[in-house]
Amino acid sequence: MPVSNGILAWWIAGPAIGLCVVALYALANRHLGVTGAYGQLVRLLSRSRPDEPWRLWFLGGLLGGAAVAGVVLGFPQRGTAFGVLGSRVPLGVLVPLLLLGGVAMGFGARWAGGCTSGNGLTGCSARSAGGMGATMMFMVAAVVATAAMRLLVSL
Amino acid sequence: MRRRDAVYVAVGLCFGFMLLASGLARYDVIHRMLRFEDWDPYLIMASSIGTAMPLLWLLERRGWVTPFGGALSLKRLALESRRIYGGMVFGVGWAITGACPGTVSAMIGGGCVLGLAILGGVFLGLRAHMAMEEAQTGRAVVARAQARPEPAVAQGAGAGS
Repeated sequence: MPVSNGILAWWIAGPAIGLCVVALYALANRHLGVTGAYGQLVRLLSRSRPDEPWRLWFLGGLLGGAAVAGVVLGFPQRGTAFGVLGSRVPLGVLVPLLLLGGVAMGFGARWAGGCTSGNGLTGCSARSAGGMGATMMFMVAAVVATAAMRLLVSL
Repeated sequence: MRRRDAVYVAVGLCFGFMLLASGLARYDVIHRMLRFEDWDPYLIMASSIGTAMPLLWLLERRGWVTPFGGALSLKRLALESRRIYGGMVFGVGWAITGACPGTVSAMIGGGCVLGLAILGGVFLGLRAHMAMEEAQTGRAVVARAQARPEPAVAQGAGAGS
């Protein structure tokens, strides 16, 4: 398979990811999305039963599949390595920064009703107007925020 | 484990493998994407949607009945203001961390310990939004009750509770 720097070519990864969306809908009528699985974990942590247990099976598979890919192809972001951001920002700043970014992601994803997978990938594929709108907004916001980050952290 | 659960695990395995293998779970790849220096992530987005969209359209048009979940019905969200505001907040988090909810788990699976900090933040953010929503619906219930004067008998009965 065409791999460079441990990264599979986009023209294999892209259609394969699309087929995951189709498989989940065609076999089980489920809308592929990841944030919902974390909602199920939150329910578990607050001692209520998961109302969509399928999401937990899916998340378990996701973790396992990524672990396999990491072993087969290698992954440079192991341990406390975090790419160029990790090399520019000391760990004592990086951890709270990542936590803060995570809070924005969790809050925003639940507000918007989905994340990059549920709204971006699957929502757009299902021709969901809300999914497409959210996707446009998070793309624009991310590009603007990245430009701001470059000024702040000189990335 | 039921057969349908095996489907969820199998699709999850493939999805997780591809998220890490494609490079989408790397900070540098997402950061360069959002600086328009790496176009491969856009090509992945376009080709994945380009693969799934016509196939879902075809299945929907043919009235496909799924083996494990009844008749196919694609979930579509209405375009409301919450998609706009939520999407904006989400995009900022995505830009800071170079990760999204899916790739956080992929990077943790790949051995990224710092991914746990992002995941912890995602949980806090989800909880915060749930709490806000509960407070809002609570206020809405109170406001409705106040707007609609109750009969005197019911009011007397309700005072004790």
